[in-house]
Parts: sequence; C-alpha cells; structure tokens
Amino acid sequence: MDDVGLSLRQRHCGRESQQRRNLDCVTWSSVQAKTSRHVAGDSSKCLEERLVPDQPSAIALDTSTDTQRKLKNLKHRSFEYSQKNAVLVPVAALGVGGILICWLRSRHKIKTIEMGDGWWGSGERSLKGREDDSIRPFKIETSDKEIEDLHRRLDQARYTPHVEGAAFHYGFNSSYLKEVVSYWRNQFDWRKQVEVLNKYPHFHTTIEGIDIHFIHVKPSYVPHGRAVQPLLMVHGWPGSFYEFYKIIPLLTEPAKHGLNEGDLVFEVICPSIPGYGFSEAPHQQGFDSIATARIFHKLMKRLGFKEYYIQGGDWGSRITTNMAQMLPQSVRGLHLNIVFLGKQSLGRLISIMLGAYVPWLVGLSREDARRVYPFMQKNVYDLLRESGYLHIQATKPDTAGCGLNDSPVGLAAYILEKFSTWTDKSFLHKDDGGLESKYSLDELLTNVMIYWVTSSIVSSMRYYKENISKDPNLNAYNRFGVHVPTGIAAFPQEIVHTPRTWAKDVYKNIVTYSYMPRGGHFAAFEEPKLLAQDIMQFVRKVEQM
Amino acid sequence: MLLEVFLVLGTVIIYFLFSKKKEETLPFKDGWWGKGQKPDTEEDTTIRPFKVETTEEELSDLFRRLDQARFTEPLENSCFHYGINSVYLRKVVSYWKNQFNWKKQVEVLNKYPHFKTKIQGIDIHFVHVKPPRLSEGQSAKPLLMVHGWPGSFYEFYKIIPLLTDPASHGLSDEHVFEVICPSIPGYGFSEAPHKKDFNSVSAASVFYELMLRLGFNEFYAQGGDWGWLICTNLAQIAPNHMKGLHLNLASVSKMGFTHLLSILLGRYFPGLFGFQEEDIRRMFPFLEKGLYRILSESGYAHIQATKPDTVGCGLNDSPVGLAAYILEKFSSWTDMEFQNLEDGGLERKFNLDDLLTNIMIYWVSGCIVSSMRFYKENLQKGIGTQKHEKLTVQVPTGIASFPNEIMHTPQAWAQKKYTNIVSFHFMPRGGHFAALEEPELLAKDILQFVGKVEKEQLWKKKRE
Repeated sequence: MDDVGLSLRQRHCGRESQQRRNLDCVTWSSVQAKTSRHVAGDSSKCLEERLVPDQPSAIALDTSTDTQRKLKNLKHRSFEYSQKNAVLVPVAALGVGGILICWLRSRHKIKTIEMGDGWWGSGERSLKGREDDSIRPFKIETSDKEIEDLHRRLDQARYTPHVEGAAFHYGFNSSYLKEVVSYWRNQFDWRKQVEVLNKYPHFHTTIEGIDIHFIHVKPSYVPHGRAVQPLLMVHGWPGSFYEFYKIIPLLTEPAKHGLNEGDLVFEVICPSIPGYGFSEAPHQQGFDSIATARIFHKLMKRLGFKEYYIQGGDWGSRITTNMAQMLPQSVRGLHLNIVFLGKQSLGRLISIMLGAYVPWLVGLSREDARRVYPFMQKNVYDLLRESGYLHIQATKPDTAGCGLNDSPVGLAAYILEKFSTWTDKSFLHKDDGGLESKYSLDELLTNVMIYWVTSSIVSSMRYYKENISKDPNLNAYNRFGVHVPTGIAAFPQEIVHTPRTWAKDVYKNIVTYSYMPRGGHFAAFEEPKLLAQDIMQFVRKVEQM
Repeated sequence: MLLEVFLVLGTVIIYFLFSKKKEETLPFKDGWWGKGQKPDTEEDTTIRPFKVETTEEELSDLFRRLDQARFTEPLENSCFHYGINSVYLRKVVSYWKNQFNWKKQVEVLNKYPHFKTKIQGIDIHFVHVKPPRLSEGQSAKPLLMVHGWPGSFYEFYKIIPLLTDPASHGLSDEHVFEVICPSIPGYGFSEAPHKKDFNSVSAASVFYELMLRLGFNEFYAQGGDWGWLICTNLAQIAPNHMKGLHLNLASVSKMGFTHLLSILLGRYFPGLFGFQEEDIRRMFPFLEKGLYRILSESGYAHIQATKPDTVGCGLNDSPVGLAAYILEKFSSWTDMEFQNLEDGGLERKFNLDDLLTNIMIYWVSGCIVSSMRFYKENLQKGIGTQKHEKLTVQVPTGIASFPNEIMHTPQAWAQKKYTNIVSFHFMPRGGHFAALEEPELLAKDILQFVGKVEKEQLWKKKRE
C-alpha cells in the first residue's frame, strides 16, 4: 500500500462531502488495498489512471451498477478535480501574482499628504453661505499717531550696559543697539518706507476664515510668445514678504538686470504666512505648515494658476516642501535655499563619522566636508547656542513675545540679532554684529516695522509651537518624500548645511544642487542676484525636461 | 601579552581609585567685577545702611508704560498652554495700575534693615534681621538665605519672622536665627558684575566674604533655585565654617549610568535603587514627569544661557512684558496643573501684591538682563562639566522635597553628591517658590534640621 497513493486518494476524498467521502473512501480503500502495483512518483496522474490495474487479477472490481455508477461519479468528480486543478491553480497563481504586482507598484506610487480642510476664524464657522472669495486690493498705510507712539517708545527706552568685551556673544550688544535706535528715531523715515512697500500691488483675500495678504507682481514686459512662469515665494521667521523686494525685479524683469535674454520671465506672488505681517493671525490652535500649504494652494487656485513654481527658505522651505507633497501635480518645480532633514538614522550617524575621514566614500563632496565638519562644533554646539529662541518659542510663545510687542527696541534687538548671526557666524565677534556690512539699516528696520505695526510678533512665534510640539524633529512627512523636480541652493553661511546625498533621502528628484559662493540664511535679502540666477538655472532645466 | 593586560588593568584601577569621590574643597574664587581696571587703593569694606526709595517720576513712568501696553489676544481655549494668557495679564495690569501701591510696598520692604557693602569691586545688597528677643543664655544662629531666579530677597519676607521669632508664631524657640538675605550680584539692589564669568562659585565666594565681614565664623545656609547652587558651592568652599546646609531644591547635574538604569528600571525594582514609594509617585512615568516637563519648561533657560542680552532687552523696557515673563514661572513652577487654568492659578497660592512687589524689584533696579546673564555664566559650557559639579558636599545637609518642584530628585540620587544628609523630608504640599508659598512648612523643616545638627554637634563630627 503506497502512502502517496493513499494520500492522494485521501486528498481527493477529502474534497467531497462527508458522506460521499466515507463511502468512497471505504470503497476505494478496499480497492487500493488490493492494488499491488504502485505507480511510483506519479501522484500527478489522475485517479482514473491509477485505477487501471497492471495486473488484471489484482483488483477485484465490483462491476455492479452501483459501483459502476459510483465509479462513474468518481471519475466525473475526479475529472472535475483535475479540471479544477487546471483552472484553479493558474487562477490562484494569477491572483497572488496580481497582488504582488499591485503591492510593488503601490510602493512606487507617490503618497501625497492629504489636503484636508480648516477653519481659523474666531468663534464657530458659519455654515451658511459661501466664503467670500473676492481678492481685494490693499495699500499699507500709516498715521501720525502710529509714528508718534513709536517715537515716544524709542525715546523712553531703557538699556542695560553690556559686560566688558561682550561683542555679540551675550546677544545684541546694547551699545550698538543705542546707535540703531538713534538712527531709527532720527533718520529712518517710515512714511517713505511705506511708499517703498506699496510699489508692488498688495491684496487681501479670505481663505479658511482668515485674511491672507500677498503681493502679486507681474512682469511689465513679456517678449512675444513667451510664457510667464508663476512663482510663489514664501518667507520665514523673523522675515516677511519684504525680504523678496530686491529679488522680485530680477525675476520679473530679468533682461533689464542683465540676467538673461528674457527667455524666462516670472510673475511673483509673495504671501504673508498667517500670523505674520499683514495676514490675519489664526484664532484657533493647530495652525501648522500643512494648513499653510493648503491655504497657499487655495490662493494660487483662486488666482487662476493650475501649475506653478514655488520657492522658500526658513519656514518657507518647509511650507513649500509640504505643498509639493500635497499637490505634486500643481507644482512644476520646488526651489529651496535651506533643507531641513529632521531624522538621523544609525546609517546617517555612521556616514557622518566616516565622512570626516573619507568623505568621498559616503557621497560627500569636498565642499560638503568643508561645510559640515567639524561635525560636533557646527551641527551640535553651534545649533544649541543658536536655538534658544526656538526652544522658548516652541513652548511659551505668548510669554516670549509679550514684551516684544510692547517695546519696539526689544523687538528690534530680538529680530536683528538673527540678521547678524544667521548671515555670518563670525559676526558674533563684532561689537556691531556686522549688520551694516550686508544690509542697510533702512531695510532691516522696515522688516522690524512690519512686525511692529501689525503687532504680529506673538502670532509669528506661535507658529513654532504649532509645528514643533506636534513633530519635534520636523520629519513626520519626510517618509512621503518629495517627487517634484527640486532645485537646492546651498549657501555657505546657512545655519546648517545639507549635502546632496542626505537631501536625496527626502527629495527624490533633485534637478539642480548648487554651492553658492557667498551668503547666509536670508538669501533673497542678502544675495538676491545669486539666488535669482540659481532659480532661473533650475527653472530652465525643468522646462527643458 | 599578559604583562600588557596587567599594566592596562592596573592603570585603570589606579585611575578609578584616584578619581573616586573627591573630597577636596572647592577653591575660593577671587575676582574683580567692577568697572574698568581694579584700582590700587584698598577696597572700602564699610557696611552702609540702605533704604529702598521711590520717586514720583519712577511711578509716573511706570504708569505711562502700563497705559500704553499692547496685548495680543490668546488663541481660543489655550489657557496657559502657550505661556501667559493675555486676558488674565490685562487683569493683573489693571490691578497694578489702580490698586497696587508701590509706595506702601516700599515701606513693607523697608521694615527689615537693608545694607550695602563693596566686595570684589561691586556693591552687595543684603537684608539683616536680628531676633527681637533672646532667652537667657541663648544666642542667635546666623542663617544665610539665598534666593534664585526670578525671585529676590523679598521671597523670604514671610519666613523671616518664623525664624527670628519662632515663639510668636507657634513654633519651637529652641533655636533662634538672625537671618541674612543677600541679593545675588546682578539681581535687585546688588550691583551687576561688569566683567564676564561671574558664576555660582563667584557668588558663593562673595557671600563667604560677606559672612566673614559680618563677623560670622560659623553659620547655616539655606537656598532654592540658584540659591541651592550657591549655597552648595559655599559648602564646598568653606566646609569648616558651615554648620549645616538646608536646601529646598537638590538637583543632580551629573547623571551617570546608574541614574539611567534607575530611570529605566526604578519603577519595577524600587528597592534596588533606593527609591521610596513617594519617589516613584513623583518621578514616574519618567518621560512625562521628567523629560517632557524639563523640555517644555526649560526654553527660558536655553535662551537665557545663550542670548541673555537679547531676551532681556524688551523686558527691561516693557513692565508688562517683564510681568508676563516672571509671572508665568510663578504659575507653572508652583503647580504644573495651573497651565490648564485660564488665570494660571496664580492667586490661589500668592497674592498680587507680593507677586508685583517681586516684579517691581526687577523693574526699578533694571536688573532683568544681568539676572539672565547668570544663566549664561553658569551653563554656557554645558551641564555637568564644571569642577564644582564633580565635587561632593560633606557638610551636614537637610533637604525639604516639595511635591510640585519641577523635577523630583530622590534621596538615592542626592546622597551621591550630598554625602552627609541628615534629614530628607517629603513635604505635603508646595512647589518651587517654597519660602513664599509655604513659609511655615519650610521653617519647620529648617528648625528640625538645625535641631538635629545642634543636638549631635554634627558639624564637629565631620572634621574628624
């Protein structure tokens, strides 16, 4: 009695109903028992065939009608079995294969951040009626009262003498601060600066319950047949839309500024992040970069754009990255002047340690190595020294901002300290923080005034808490990756340097990566020409693709 | 090969033997903190009486600033989670303008005698209160009490009478104290150092000189917040002069492998790590009560330790901003749950007059920036890196452990540094500002601690 045959029979029997099985099993076991010949290794042969005895006398077949019928049934059934086999197995194989393929493809399918929706106005959302989606022109204004109030506060400012030899190591040097305030009180002309601000058209529109402010600058001249590329540029903290005022003409009128032959012309949209400048601050908790990304997409849609380029630094970098992850089909290209990579994996740590000795082995260029090492100093100690503001704003923004909203001198010290240290780390050693070596006091104070006249310092700080307390490493969406064409301009004095090999972890489609020759964190403000050239180089490449 | 192994082992063992619990003293840190060059002339060591004063000009300037204050509306339902709530702040400012009487508070401040004396180039302010009466043959024990940030000598005004005149307050008068409350240089009416590097060891050295100048050869010291560190340093500098050290905060800055282990396993094997039930209750779950709490509450320390002149600038110019910044600490550090209240629970444990008087001390002396610099001078090189953090304390120590202190330090950890803990008590209630919030509880603990030390003459024993 061969086991194989038995097991085969049992298998076949097992498929049948219990009753049948018992009957058949009993019948066929007796038949099998009588079979002396084993068809070795041929279990695939159908039962029928095995029933054929080699030795005519081996099987005592009951040739009664009953058994005949049963035999026939069985043959029939076994034929069904084999049929089923012939059909089911390939189908099963197809099914499994199909699932496998689907799964494999889904891994490559781009995951996007869900858009969702939000409401940031005060009180309950009004369910009646549609939201007002008009775009209203807006002009920045000032008044005698506003200027007198400012002057009064500047006049009554109380300073604390710094310790001897402090330079900018303890923060903003109070001796230099007195000079800045003196300029602010006596030479700075806010009315004139308001006119400067109004040279570009400003607008307001209500999205998700709050008024969004933006400037929209169209090129004055478009060469015949050329397409104008829409470009959304997003600022950060403690900056504003004003940071882009020097780069806008380079992008809207490049030929005039010797940048290109007019083959690439942009219309630029610079919104203010809600809670900053002239954009209304959210009244509800939870307003983070995802909500901002969604609102800016809605803004572009409202302005009639289906596809556009986006550019950002500081918070703008994170917001535009989220925008590219949310609606990649609308983003023709993403350009960044800073890359935030929150997560440090073990592999990254090892490559950091190796990179100090063999940078080429871990994909670091010489320039990367120069900017990244010594690692502990530049990426840990320096960051710790510079991130106190981030820590307090991410935990107690309303406390940190309170005094700054009440003392313009305090506000200026807090903001201008960043314009010093984040432009060049060596400025810490200077008594005047090196501020006027890269910027004019008029520009710096205009940016500070935007925070002052709009009383937006507290709401601007809340942005840190809303983003960081949810996601301290700012990397929750890194797993989504960024698949739109990306261009990165790496400025040498940026707070942290992210080499291309590391950026690739998140930005899967880096089209250009440039080491800029000079400049720091406030790239658009400090080196507008360099940044404009890099943006154009990037966009040109993307358009060719 | 074997020889090498033995040599290495030997060196390692010898290294550990020699680097073990250092019982050496911390050297006295001399310095010159005045403006410019140190003059060749002898320093003026007179002790001059001092009175806190105010002027009409000072008051009208304050009111003008309070009137022009600009507030930002809080987010809906945010209570104190984003920091101080500006709706409540408006109420405080209204009280400050209309009911708070600074002239009257100045008289309150002046009820105890104030003095100033020049030490190491700067004027040191202190309050010196002697007992009103002494029993036959009794002598007052000198007690140095050191405040912290954002506090001041004023925090001790409620506890001073309990220590100088315990009998009148229903406490045992076995021991009576004369209390000396100085202002840390850079705080209140003490001059701010003009040079860099004035840290807790410098402050301890200055206070040591003060006590000697006042003629005290032996004294007790009590402190919380920065006062904890300064008094600890003092015990390390002058162990032979300090009879006892009492603390209401006993932080441990040097965390080693055993600490980590006790955090991971302490909940399951408390006995193994010397944890008591109350320790477990206060410390665990550790992520929530330890790590996250520290992270969410230490933003101020981070920015003050790196950019004090920046963050203090606006606060020295806006009294409302100053009040907001300081009051937030009196809320969270008294009870973390107060963050869920719209008014931060401030008036549950303190009255506005006391809170505003403390703030006014910062305002009228313009010392907020220099007070913040103390963080940079102490923390800029990191925590656990300084010499004094590696040394232990042999002076008899008493620790009052308050339940709502920001982070709980169990006795098991504290005794690694404070090798001579005479008393360690879990207080039933109270937070960081113990002297102001629970003066009676703190006074009782100090009295029982001193009682123990005096009875067994413990300060003599340690010298053997």
